[in-house]
Amino acid sequence: MIKFSIDGKEVVAKRGETILQVARREGIYIPTMCYLSKVKPIESCRLCVVEVEGVEGFVLSCQTPATPDIKVRTDSQALYTHRQNIMQLYDVNHPLECGVCDKSGECDLQNKTLEFRVDHQEFSAKDQYRPIQNWQYIQYDPSLCILCEKCVHVCNEVIGDDAIEIEYGGYKSRIIPKDAPTLDCTFCGECIAVCPVGALISSDFKYTSNAWELRRVPAACAHCSAACHLYYETKHSSIENPQPKIYRVKNEFEFETLCGAGRFGFDFENRAQKDEEAFGRALEAFEKADTIRFSSFITNEEALILQRLKEQKGYKLLNEEARAYQKFLDEYAQTSGKTLYEADLERIEKSDFLILVGSFVSSDNPAVRYALTVSQKRQGSEIINMHPIEDDLLKPVVTKFVKYEVGSEEAVLGMLLDGLLDEEAKEKIGKKWFEELDIGYLSAESSVGEEEIADILERLQRQHRFKKDRCTLILGEDLYTHPRAENLAKLAGLIDRFTDFEVMLIPPKTNSLGVALICDLDEEGGEYTIGYNAKGDFVLSALGDGDLDMPALNQQEGTFTNIDKRVVPTNVALPYEGYVLNDLAKALGVSDKEYTIEFTKELPQEKGYKPIDFDDLPNEFFNDGTEHRGYRLENKKVNLSRKNIEPIAELPEFNGTVLYRCEPVLQFSPFTHKAHQLHWPCALVGSYQFSVAAKLEDGDEVVIHSKFGEIIKHFRIDPKLKGTVALLGTSDLGVEYFAMQGNYRYERVKITKRVEP
Amino acid sequence: MSGLEQFQDRNVSQNYYRVKIEPYPKTPWEKFKRVVRKSLKPDLLIGLKITLLEMLRFNIHTIQYPKEKLPVSPRFRGIHRLLRLLESGNERCIGCGLCEKICISNCIRIDTKPDENGRKIPTEYTINFGRCIFCGYCAEVCPELAIVHGQEYEYASEQRAQFAMKEDMLTPLDKLKEQKEYPGFGAPTPAADKLIKKTPLAY
Repeated sequence: MIKFSIDGKEVVAKRGETILQVARREGIYIPTMCYLSKVKPIESCRLCVVEVEGVEGFVLSCQTPATPDIKVRTDSQALYTHRQNIMQLYDVNHPLECGVCDKSGECDLQNKTLEFRVDHQEFSAKDQYRPIQNWQYIQYDPSLCILCEKCVHVCNEVIGDDAIEIEYGGYKSRIIPKDAPTLDCTFCGECIAVCPVGALISSDFKYTSNAWELRRVPAACAHCSAACHLYYETKHSSIENPQPKIYRVKNEFEFETLCGAGRFGFDFENRAQKDEEAFGRALEAFEKADTIRFSSFITNEEALILQRLKEQKGYKLLNEEARAYQKFLDEYAQTSGKTLYEADLERIEKSDFLILVGSFVSSDNPAVRYALTVSQKRQGSEIINMHPIEDDLLKPVVTKFVKYEVGSEEAVLGMLLDGLLDEEAKEKIGKKWFEELDIGYLSAESSVGEEEIADILERLQRQHRFKKDRCTLILGEDLYTHPRAENLAKLAGLIDRFTDFEVMLIPPKTNSLGVALICDLDEEGGEYTIGYNAKGDFVLSALGDGDLDMPALNQQEGTFTNIDKRVVPTNVALPYEGYVLNDLAKALGVSDKEYTIEFTKELPQEKGYKPIDFDDLPNEFFNDGTEHRGYRLENKKVNLSRKNIEPIAELPEFNGTVLYRCEPVLQFSPFTHKAHQLHWPCALVGSYQFSVAAKLEDGDEVVIHSKFGEIIKHFRIDPKLKGTVALLGTSDLGVEYFAMQGNYRYERVKITKRVEP
Repeated sequence: MSGLEQFQDRNVSQNYYRVKIEPYPKTPWEKFKRVVRKSLKPDLLIGLKITLLEMLRFNIHTIQYPKEKLPVSPRFRGIHRLLRLLESGNERCIGCGLCEKICISNCIRIDTKPDENGRKIPTEYTINFGRCIFCGYCAEVCPELAIVHGQEYEYASEQRAQFAMKEDMLTPLDKLKEQKEYPGFGAPTPAADKLIKKTPLAY
């Protein structure tokens, strides 16, 4: 703890904390142009200078750590003049087009120019011809750019795309795509978010609205289980149409990162009116039905309503994907002794040794990918990625890629367990299991060499020569639907219990964790099924293609249980005039609540939820970056199971044409696909090797004969992809998508070229 | 005294004088005499002399509204006009939305989009004249002198939404020559050139 003072106020800093960080935490204002709290200090603006008593000249507060007993002054005449000069230089040749600039009203340059009263210009430079660059979702106007470098740093240090860089050339400097004629990245759009001026903007939003006209609705992203904090910004659609519409999405870019699906896939709302006839038919269907099948794209409150329906009306609840995850969590709890996994995204950011098994995170859960990038860039952590397909986007941060055969996940975890555990722990679990472990066979069948496991262990030793506390094992969606998922979960639990590793089980869909905790799910359905965003005899759909319309997740208030085991609130961005699930429950006599959110305080406390009203849930970030959204679930202790873990089963073989169900980056589900900016078909993507084996050519129309019927796809060769497994995007298949989620992600299929009828 | 001075002179009491008022009649006889005197004097005809003469000459000075209209002050704030650039005929409006923002009765709405050249253009522009209070803020805030007040002062109409659309307010291309600037608030003052600090240019 370091005590010092800023402007006479006594403050305390942690070791290594900079003056600016302390000042921001304490609410003391120091102007900055280039500082971004989630990346290393950029030091390009020099606006954050302060005076320190006894030190000659100015000190850069963004990069100077606090030292004991210094007296910092953030404002003086000299500092003011210095900052004024900087602003004057920033304004040289800056186009006077605030009138039309999208950033006007929320522009750092505008604010600081006014703050430091730059009302005339003494400097000049010869202006350059700098045409606007169109980069698909993003537009770059070099003449507005002030070269603060925030975009470059965030792209490199947080996102991991490393897609843009600065072309140095004095006054001609500008941002250019790195090693490419045009921008080729994952289009997370974080560069748009961090840009302090109007240089980087969303092509779709451009010139459609001024910043001050938009109404800001704080919400949680509904696309994946990270449920990132975001703001939907709404306004009337046009002069003729007063209906509100979402114009864009913004995020708290200082503290958190949003992926492209959240940023560009915002208009998935379902505009519907009250259809009393359909509602009547729905009630009839509920009378007839004995099963409700639903997807995990729902709020906790809706999950609770479904659970109440089950308790009081005896419906069976089906959700294959959440059921698989629920079983995995249960089995995991039996060997780890905890109801929930321990790790969260912050833990990943702070870890220095990470193993990732069974997840294609760059498209499954970009928030995990960003956390991995941060941990790699900040502390140079070791990241081991184990997967049958190498994730090209993770390449820059992954220090070792280990390929295993499709279906051999059990062998991989078994070998890891064997390697990571010490003798004492093995003794405790049962020596026999380890003695029976035929490493030679496992290694041969899974094609993970013994030397590779040895290498992983050696890297772990090296990383932890000095301290030994920050290891994380991240497990993904592939494992939950694996035929041997139960044993996999037990192995994961043992790793958590007997090693320094904390485990993260990435929830596969938006609210899979919430559904798994709240609902008592069944294995088998009955005869008449009501589908809620799922297949059924009577379909309630938020996509607008069912028998009764339901609100989409940007039209609902409620909570999600996200990857951080946090219950996060989301709010209504767009009005919904039709019927909601609570109306059905009311009509069936199951709910006595007027609004769905009255269920928030009734979420099951035995699962770790707290009896807090929806309206009392906070939804913000503090000045120092602390996330203050909702609350964290309590991780409860459970009794360890006395059952021995099963020996590793014979490994299955996946020969022939194997597809991996994996959405392209920016897509998650039919909801992202519905958004107008992301409304493009998902192709079947394979490597050269795959195309040769399957006798396909780039651009072929193919028919995939899978167990879900025939799927017609466009085939594309991705030169960066390797191996014989192709990636199949399914977000464009509508309700069919939800039916696939409960199955193992790899599937042997037959592919034929499509013949035009 | 001329100009402002006469208003600034507060010492006005010296110009007062007493009005001569004949004594008020007291007895009924005096009252009767006054009635007869006033009735029989030709005061009324003297008063009407000019009117009657002009009537006979058919030299009528009444403005025949609505057939005739008086010119209004150039600074009158009438129904808005959207102006064009004189040289090119392009719309002056850049779609900045400041008029929409400043409007205190919240009656202006504007839709914008990028055009094919990547410039911001207003696609639609409406003023709800049922709400407009003709305060002139929109004309004053407009950085391009695009929205100004016209001379139109007849606000009554059968439909609330009349005159509200962009095409009604925008100068038609064939009448570009007749387009007049509004000299009220928002227009450059005669000394504008002297007040501007020039930005140095490195050309």
